[in-house]
Amino acid sequence: MNQEPTHSHQQTEANTGQPAVPMWLIGLMMVLLLLGAIYFDNNGGWFDSNVYAPYHNSAELDRYQLPSLGNEQVVLGKRLFEANCALCHNTDGTGKTGQAPPLAGSEWVNAQGSYRIIHIPQFGLTGPIDVKGQTYVIGAGMAPMGAQYTPDELAAVLTYVRQAWGNKAPAVTPEQVSKVRSELSSHPQQYTVDELKKLPEQAP
Amino acid sequence: MKHGPLVFLAAFFVLSTSWFGFVLKPQADLGNAVQETNVVSTALYPQPRPGQAHQGAEVYRANGCFYCHSQQVGQTGVTCDVVLTAPGTNLTAAAEAIAKANPALATANLTELMKKLPANILTNVDRSTADNAMKLLKAPDMKAEVHIVPIGPDIARGWGRRHNVAEDYVYDWPVMLGSQRVGPDLANIGARKPDANWQLTHLYSPQGLVKGSTMPSYRFLFETRKIGRVPSPYALQLTGDLAPAAGYEIVPKPEARELVAYLLSLNSDAPLYEAPFTTPAPAPAQTNSIAAK
Repeated sequence: MNQEPTHSHQQTEANTGQPAVPMWLIGLMMVLLLLGAIYFDNNGGWFDSNVYAPYHNSAELDRYQLPSLGNEQVVLGKRLFEANCALCHNTDGTGKTGQAPPLAGSEWVNAQGSYRIIHIPQFGLTGPIDVKGQTYVIGAGMAPMGAQYTPDELAAVLTYVRQAWGNKAPAVTPEQVSKVRSELSSHPQQYTVDELKKLPEQAP
Repeated sequence: MKHGPLVFLAAFFVLSTSWFGFVLKPQADLGNAVQETNVVSTALYPQPRPGQAHQGAEVYRANGCFYCHSQQVGQTGVTCDVVLTAPGTNLTAAAEAIAKANPALATANLTELMKKLPANILTNVDRSTADNAMKLLKAPDMKAEVHIVPIGPDIARGWGRRHNVAEDYVYDWPVMLGSQRVGPDLANIGARKPDANWQLTHLYSPQGLVKGSTMPSYRFLFETRKIGRVPSPYALQLTGDLAPAAGYEIVPKPEARELVAYLLSLNSDAPLYEAPFTTPAPAPAQTNSIAAK
C-alpha cells in the first residue's frame, strides 16, 4: 500500500527530451534578426560618438555640416599659434617689450616673399633684431619652434601670422616650407639677423 | 551546485560584456574629448570656467539646483532653410530662378521679397530639397545660403539653438545634467539672461521678476545690513515690498555672486561638428529689473 501510485497526469508534463523547434519559429527569428540588423545599420550610427539623435549616421551628419568658409588653414594656424607662440608674441601679436618682437605690423612678417620668415621658426633666431624701429635682444634667442610641425602646420601658422592683426602678406604654402627644409635639413645654431639678411626674400 | 564553473563563466561573460559596452567603450570614445576650434569664429570651445564661476558650480551643487533644473537641451530633428542674401544684378533672371526653386512663390510679389534681405525662399525642408533649390538659384551675382535649423520642443521654448552633446561638458565635474524640469532648462542661461543684476534679483525674489514662479527664494545668499559710509556697489536695487528699511541695503554674499558667475558661464551656443546649426542668435533678453516695474 505504501507504493507510490502512478500519477496519470505526470505523463502529460513536458519531458526532458529534445523537442524539435518548429521550422516557422526559426524562420521568424531569422527575419526579425535581419530586420533588426537593417534598422541598426540605418539608425545606429555604428557606435560613432559624434552621431547623436536626431542624426542617424555619420553620412547624414556630414550632409548637415555648415558650408566650408575656406578658412581651415587660418583656423589651424590660429590654434597652433595660440598654443605655442602666443606665450612670447602674445595672442594679439604685440610681442614683449625688449624680449619678443611684435608680429603685428612687423616688416619681417609683412615681406612679400616668405623665404626668410620660414627660416625663423624652422631654425630659430638669436637677436638683436630691429623691428618697427626698436631693438629686441630675445634673451636666449628663439628656439626652432616650427621644426616639430608638418609642412602643412608650419605653413598654417605662418599664414595666420601674416594675415592676422592687420597684416596683409600673401599666404605661405606647404610646398614653400618643404623647399626650405629640403635645402637645409638642420642648422647648427640659431640664425642671426645678418645671416637672415643674406637670404633672398623670395625663394631662389 | 551542479555546473558551478559554467554558471560562473556565463555570469562573468555577461557582466564583462556589459562593462565593455557601457563603461570601456564610452570612455574610449568620449573620455579624451578636448577643446575644439569653432570653424565660424575660430575661437576654442568649450572654455574652462573662470575661478569665480568654478566655485559657483559648487554653490549650484550644494543648493541642489539640479533637482529642478536640467542642463540638457534636446533636439528632435533638423531642417534647412534656403535664404536669399543678394538678388544680384539681373533682377528678372533672379525672379525666374526663385520661382523655379520654389513654385509656390511664383505668384508672390518677388520684387518686394528681394528688397527685404535676407529673405527665406524655402523654409523647413530637408537637405536634398534645399540642395536642389540651390542648384536652381542661379542668376548673375545672386547669392543664397542654406541655413541648418535644429528643431524640437526645447528649441521652440528658446532654451537653446541646438542639442547638447558630450563636448559641452568637457570641463564639468560632476556633470549636473538634472533629470527634472520643475524650472526651465539652464544649459544656455548665460546666453538667454546675460544680465548679472537680473540673476541676483531673481535669486533674491523669483516671484518679483517672474509671475507665478514656483522657485523658492534664496535670501540666505544675501545679507541685509546697515549702509556704511559708502553704499555697496553690489547692493540690489529693490522697490516696493522687497525694498529694505531705510538706511539698510541688501548685498549678495560671495556665494550668490559665484552662483551668478556660474549661471552666466552656462552657454552652449557654439556650432560643433556633432551639433551643426546656423540659426541666428535670439534678441538679447530684456533686463526686466524690479526697479523698472
